[in-house]
Amino acid sequence: MRQNNMLAMILAGGRGTRLYDLTSKIAKPAVYYGGKYRIIDFPLSNCANSDVDVVGVLTQYESVLLNSYVARDHRWGLDAKDSGVFVLPPREKDSGFGLYRGTADAITQNIDFIDQFNPEYVLILSGDHIYKMDYAKMLAHHKANNADLTIAVLEVPMKEASRFGIMNTDETDRIVEFEEKPAQPKSNLASMGIYIFNWNLLRDSLIRDEANDASAHDFGKNIIPEFLDTDKRVYAWKFDGYWKDVGTISSLWEANMDLLDTANGLDLSDNSWKIYTEDVATTPQFITEDAEVENSLINQGCVIAGEVKNSVIFTDVTIEKGAEVKDSVVMPNVVIEEGAEVRRVIIAEGVRIGKGVKLGSKDGEIELIAQDRL
Amino acid sequence: MLDALGIVSFENDGILVEGLMKYRPIPAISFLGRYRLIDFVMSNMTNSGVSNLKVFVKKQPRSLIEHLGTGRHYNINSKRGKLQILYGESNELTTGIYNHDINAYVQNMQFIEDSKEKYVIIAPGYVVNAMNYADVLDAHIANGADITVVYKQVDNADKAYLGCNALALDGNRVGAIATNMGQEKVRNISLDTYVMSRQLFMDLVNQAAEISSLYTFKDVLSSSVSTLRVEGYEYKGYCACINSLERYYEANMELTDYKVAKELFNREWPIHTRTNDSAPTYYGKDAEVENSVIANGCRIEGEVENCIIGRGVTISKGCKIKDSIILPETFVGEDTVIKHAVVDKKVIIQNVKQIVGDDERLVYIKRRDRI
Repeated sequence: MRQNNMLAMILAGGRGTRLYDLTSKIAKPAVYYGGKYRIIDFPLSNCANSDVDVVGVLTQYESVLLNSYVARDHRWGLDAKDSGVFVLPPREKDSGFGLYRGTADAITQNIDFIDQFNPEYVLILSGDHIYKMDYAKMLAHHKANNADLTIAVLEVPMKEASRFGIMNTDETDRIVEFEEKPAQPKSNLASMGIYIFNWNLLRDSLIRDEANDASAHDFGKNIIPEFLDTDKRVYAWKFDGYWKDVGTISSLWEANMDLLDTANGLDLSDNSWKIYTEDVATTPQFITEDAEVENSLINQGCVIAGEVKNSVIFTDVTIEKGAEVKDSVVMPNVVIEEGAEVRRVIIAEGVRIGKGVKLGSKDGEIELIAQDRL
Repeated sequence: MLDALGIVSFENDGILVEGLMKYRPIPAISFLGRYRLIDFVMSNMTNSGVSNLKVFVKKQPRSLIEHLGTGRHYNINSKRGKLQILYGESNELTTGIYNHDINAYVQNMQFIEDSKEKYVIIAPGYVVNAMNYADVLDAHIANGADITVVYKQVDNADKAYLGCNALALDGNRVGAIATNMGQEKVRNISLDTYVMSRQLFMDLVNQAAEISSLYTFKDVLSSSVSTLRVEGYEYKGYCACINSLERYYEANMELTDYKVAKELFNREWPIHTRTNDSAPTYYGKDAEVENSVIANGCRIEGEVENCIIGRGVTISKGCKIKDSIILPETFVGEDTVIKHAVVDKKVIIQNVKQIVGDDERLVYIKRRDRI
């Protein structure tokens, strides 16, 4: 806060319905990704690496695991004296228990939290996107434009633009129009759901929005249109890098497979922009004399005695002799017994695949295995 | 919480890990790719319930101070627990032959006096094992011993534990303590792990300092066996005393066998270390890895057989790495052949294509070398 007067609020209340059993007991931001991470490690590490050191995390759906996970702020180095990760689930108030009615309402209900820090800028983030971004650069852009609101945008293929919230800009990057999922898109600049607001303006807008019964209390539907309608200085900041919103089993699988491409834009091994996560007390990886390992990402604590190809293997997984794992994502503490064969599957945490069991197929849909198969 | 102060002692002069020890104290040496030797004693202490720890450092404290930090990663409570890193601060008394354990204890006696715990548990930073000191303390109290010495009965003392201390036992009673010179195969090797009352410990240290300025703690113990009740406590689990480069190499190599490693690693008794936040390890399309232990953050594109690969190591295409230990953050360029070698940290191997030792003679490549 002292360095940039900016506080971050991460919207992490989403369920991720299309991730099925992966999100039946945990919110989408806590879903595993990339061999050792949870998705929310990305925005939290980006904050830590960008010197954004006070972070509120707004949780709602199945938030117990997510709350206890993010509350341990030392994982991201956000535990210095003036830093912190603050867990903000809905709370009981004078007026009753208030669920967050929308993305903007989640912030409105925590105006008192933000006011304690009296920031000049508030950075709004989503807890379920995978990307590496230097928010300090975005803030510099915001200040250089003397902007009231800056929205991070990504250039998407024109033919896919109608799936996104599209920003139409002038030659100075000022946003002149915002269209949600337009049938005939005029530009390919898609909103990434990452905003820097001047807090005093956002605060006023949120209070007006709260009083408006017709509002959906949503940034995209209500707050941003109001900023544009009232001629506030709204600017786009172009992000050029890997960004993924993993909403489905197949997109989660794809995002994991992207990491096996050595030219992937995410580069988790870049020591200047590490992604931090839980520090699990475990061993190094044991690759036995019977193992065959090829084009795969494997994390600490694994014992590999079988064949692993084109796969992402999380912490403490055991793959026994004669087992074959191909084109798959295997989450922590999974055991794949002797002779089992899996292909194009995601195996959820702690699942056991019995001797000789065969799952998945060479070119079918990606299958989620969330229960033991013995 | 145990009513015992934990003391991590430093190695005596018989413990020499050639090459590696030039750059750091022995407890700070990288082990099994992921750990440093001191992680084992630190984890054993905190897993046993010790929360007040004094770690004595013989020399070059920088790497140990950095690794131990506040001790939070070992589960030392930041308010109620305490981790002190101590060394002999008086220059003329801590150089050369005067740099021994008794001297370090004498110079830091005030911190031992100020502790409140009734007992001390002393264990060294060069032993790799998974040991519950609470059990030793229980046995010590139950036996009514003055001093309890932990030992391991080994059948390869003629090779593996040279320079370590060996116990002559009469039942459980320790009759004598002498340096193992390798004359016999079966011996009771002292793990330099002791339990006694804090008061007795302070008395012994003070007496030793009065007798001779070259007296070490082992000398004190040897001369105590006739006057005090010194009992042995047998440790039966996996154990390696890292007292030479060869032993360091062998201990790493034997742990590549997962059946052996399982004797040391157990989820109920985790070995903690400082996280480096490395990404998972990437194995390339041409990687061939067999019977090896590999840490996180590596990039493996060549052949690796019977090796320990430390954190953040790159093994490029066309490499053949066999029977070797590669310490963290080393880069091995394309088509390099390495056999029977210990390659220290942050080495860059680009121009030399053959680094080959044999069973008799290990090759050691020094830290930050460019070859």
